[in-house]
Amino acid sequence: MSEPIIDLASVRLTLASRAGPVGILQGVDLTVEKGQSVAIVGPSGSGKTSLLMVLAGLERASSGGVCVAGHEYAAMSEDELAVMRGARIGIVFQSFHLVPTMTALENVALPLEFAGHRGAFDVARERLAEVGLEARAEHYPAQLSGGEQQRVAIARALAPDPSIVLADEPTGNLDGRTGRHVADLLFDLHRRRGVTLVLVTHDERLAGECGRIIRMADGRIVSDFKAVAA
Amino acid sequence: MSTAGRGAGWRQAFRLARRELRAGLGGFYVFIACVALGVMVITAVGALTDALRAGFARQGEAILGGDATFARMHARASETERAWLALQGRISESGSMRAIARRVDGTEQALVELKGVDRAYPLAGTLRLTAGASLDMAVHDGAVAAADPALLERLRVKPGDHLEIGELDVEVRAAVLAEPDAIADRLTYGPRVLVSLDTLSRTGLVKPGALVRWRYAVKLPGRAGERPAALASLREAAGMALPESGFTITDRRDPSPQVSKTLERLRQFLTLIGLTALLTGGVGVANAVSTFLDKRRKVIATMRSLGATNRMVFAVFFAQVMTLAAIGVGAGLSLGLAIPPLVSSAYGDALPIEAELSVSVGSLVTAAAYGFLVAVLFALWPLGRAERFSAAALFRDEVAEVQGRPRQALLVVMAALAAALAAAAVLMSESHAVALAFCGGLVLVFLVFAGLGSGVTMAARRMKRPRRPELALAIGNIGAPDGLTRSVILSLGTGLTLLATVALAHAALVEELTSRMPAESPNYFVLDVPKSDFEPLSSLILREAPAAKLHGAPMLRGRLLRLGDKSVEDIKAPPEAQWVLTGDRGLTYSETVPEGSRLVKGEWWPKDYAGEPLVSFESELAQKLGVGIGSSVTVNVLGRNVTARIANLREVKWESLALNFVMVFSPNTLANAPHNVLATITLPKETTLAAEIELARTLGRAYPAVTAIRVKDAIETFNAIFSKVMTAVRIAGGVTLLAGALVLAGALATAQRRRVLEAVILKTLGATRRRIIGAHLAEYALLALATAGIAVVLGSIAAWVAVERIMEIEFSYSWRAVLEALGLAFALVMAFGGIGTWLVLKARPVPTLRSE
Repeated sequence: MSEPIIDLASVRLTLASRAGPVGILQGVDLTVEKGQSVAIVGPSGSGKTSLLMVLAGLERASSGGVCVAGHEYAAMSEDELAVMRGARIGIVFQSFHLVPTMTALENVALPLEFAGHRGAFDVARERLAEVGLEARAEHYPAQLSGGEQQRVAIARALAPDPSIVLADEPTGNLDGRTGRHVADLLFDLHRRRGVTLVLVTHDERLAGECGRIIRMADGRIVSDFKAVAA
Repeated sequence: MSTAGRGAGWRQAFRLARRELRAGLGGFYVFIACVALGVMVITAVGALTDALRAGFARQGEAILGGDATFARMHARASETERAWLALQGRISESGSMRAIARRVDGTEQALVELKGVDRAYPLAGTLRLTAGASLDMAVHDGAVAAADPALLERLRVKPGDHLEIGELDVEVRAAVLAEPDAIADRLTYGPRVLVSLDTLSRTGLVKPGALVRWRYAVKLPGRAGERPAALASLREAAGMALPESGFTITDRRDPSPQVSKTLERLRQFLTLIGLTALLTGGVGVANAVSTFLDKRRKVIATMRSLGATNRMVFAVFFAQVMTLAAIGVGAGLSLGLAIPPLVSSAYGDALPIEAELSVSVGSLVTAAAYGFLVAVLFALWPLGRAERFSAAALFRDEVAEVQGRPRQALLVVMAALAAALAAAAVLMSESHAVALAFCGGLVLVFLVFAGLGSGVTMAARRMKRPRRPELALAIGNIGAPDGLTRSVILSLGTGLTLLATVALAHAALVEELTSRMPAESPNYFVLDVPKSDFEPLSSLILREAPAAKLHGAPMLRGRLLRLGDKSVEDIKAPPEAQWVLTGDRGLTYSETVPEGSRLVKGEWWPKDYAGEPLVSFESELAQKLGVGIGSSVTVNVLGRNVTARIANLREVKWESLALNFVMVFSPNTLANAPHNVLATITLPKETTLAAEIELARTLGRAYPAVTAIRVKDAIETFNAIFSKVMTAVRIAGGVTLLAGALVLAGALATAQRRRVLEAVILKTLGATRRRIIGAHLAEYALLALATAGIAVVLGSIAAWVAVERIMEIEFSYSWRAVLEALGLAFALVMAFGGIGTWLVLKARPVPTLRSE
């Protein structure tokens, strides 16, 4: 068995609301090995996205241990988490979240620039070519279609050569054909680069392509299915 | 649409608007605040002037010390004149003049306003003295006086001690706490010393030709003085009975025309500044309406798809804008009305009279009208654009800005509103030219900053991306379609330009008044030197200070009655020449062209000229008053009308502080009238302050009746008054900047959602908080720099025009004023931007990422 890249132990996430504290994650234990592809599925409100945000370090667990790529999150400051994320984790959102005032190329180069990478734009150009968008490098997000924006977002997530890619409903805002194309791209990159892929989705077919399917309900993992071929 | 149909349409629009406003006023606070702020300034200025005016009207009798006063320089009323005055009612006589009061040990002295009163004084109002002192005991009990507490403190004198005034030793019996008719005398330059008429004459200061202002207060029988008709007929009767008296007549309806006029000018000027604040806030109004309509796009599209016409959509949202404007105007009026009581309670002592807390309907209507006009003017553009949205485009076009201009008719309405605003501002001002220049300047400033906003946005979009990601982000934000750039540059720029103008003009004027006195400016003006004393006084001064330069000129005071074929009351003079026509003017005569003057037209009279009376007039004022060579000039001197023909015109260097006169007569015209000499003493530059003061003391000991005024003291006194006025102007100007800051806050609030999202995305990509703060700071700094830089350039030009062209004073540049303006711009942008950034960094990323 290869080394775990994600290790969650009894993770709880409780948020305040007007009606009182709400338990979003209620004791999640999860270990993911390097290079695995994991789908997290479950009904709305089951805690899928919250789990992904905890993995990204964008949400701090109320209790429990979160260790990702050898980093214990509890001991890290917000800025240390940001730097770590920039270097080790790529995130793909359902709504793409590109910076509207920057071109496709600049969006992809941004995490590399934050990390002080000297050849940021050369790498960004390569990544755009990998997703088939080298011709749209100078276009602004508003000038791109939804599918193209998501491909830019994937190129951006992969730009710093992360060991983990977290994707939140990456095809949720796209039509069937475009969604399929984006999904193929993600799995292809996962296979070719050997990155660990954690995917939150409602799409059972997409989940089925992952090596492991974790099902959540009411903030807990209710099943953990590993495909034989994975 | 028929009129009835139109009415029903508007009713429906208001009904729909009311439903639309159920969502509350959230998002409109900036709109309301922007309107309220400008209206508040205009209301406050109007209400404060009204309060002072009402105070004037109600307290007119007390301020004047009677129902009417008859005043003139030099000559006391003759028996005939006194008899005529006594026939009108009860009368009280007083004589006031500048004099020097000295400690008996001769160590200290001060310039004072000495006033002698009779036993009938005061006919109206109450003179308040320190506890226990009566007017009889403090003023009429022999050589005694009551004095301003400030003078007693300065000379270290207390009741019971003695002072030397002229040739008389006077015992100080009490301090004057309140003098009812203080401002009716004139805006006094020194502290008051009140004595009896007998004491005044015993000082030896009242000699023929001395600059004494004799004033006769008249109290009409019964309550006749309360009837304007009685006051008017008194004036008319005086004109008939005493045609050559030369009295300046003032009645209780306007007890101090000079103060009324100054107040009115200040009101007009501050109203223009308030209007600038309102117009700056207008940018905030336009932004708020734009943002609101943007959020309501789906509602508009739905209305349109359900059959609402363009006009109906316009009407619904116009009705909402009017409702919000009404709330803003209401808030502005209420706040503005609250200011006079606050000012009155905080600065009541500094005001010339007790303010009556009342306000005129005119002031309220003016402020409200300006508020509505500006709100509608600035809301029409975004409203007009919303009207042109197509329903399909509204559903589709979520990201890109909707382009397009309002329909032609609305553009015409906007132009008409702008013209109405400008017309109102110009017509309500006394000097149309200055108001027009102000409006023109304002339009220019708006256009420059609107252009600059677009220019900076475009430049940021086209700029090559900087290497540093913080800078790249900053430049990206500056070029963003819904960024802060345009509104911040426009609103903050206008406010800052005004503030820079005021600061620079103020600095230039202070510089002119203090440091830039001409090299040859005199150290002392010496008043009331008897003709016979001039020679020995000159010898004394030259003995004490051999390097001193002494100049003397005959000095009389008289009132101008006629110019050319017109009486002065019928001359419509431009404001800058008005002063020549009102009050007493200094008159002189000379055999030769006086120093500091240059003959520009006509011939000077020959030595020993004995023909028809001639006069030399200052050339620029002559032109403004419509007279020239050959015109006749009639002045009243010592109760006698003297008419002379203008023989030549002179150019006078007023700023030289030499002995300058508007009118210089041929010696044969005035030499026989009793008069004194006005002299200037100029000491070498290296003279110490101690030596300067010692010379004045020696002069005082030798010639007690002579009054020496230190030029620097006089300038400081003027500076103190000037600074108070400038404080009011600065506060009003500061409100404009506050309006700019409000617009900035509004623009930041509008862009906040986008900025939070952007910061969250950057965080997910590995940006530290320092980087995000760095990007924001760079953006704000670039905006502040562009805005302040241009504001300083425009403010400098405006200040130069105001000082050098309008006031005709040499302009000097103050880097300090510029740095203050720049610092203020940076502080404001950074403060408001900093709050925005703090909120951005505080925002939790997850809800933001999910809500998109």
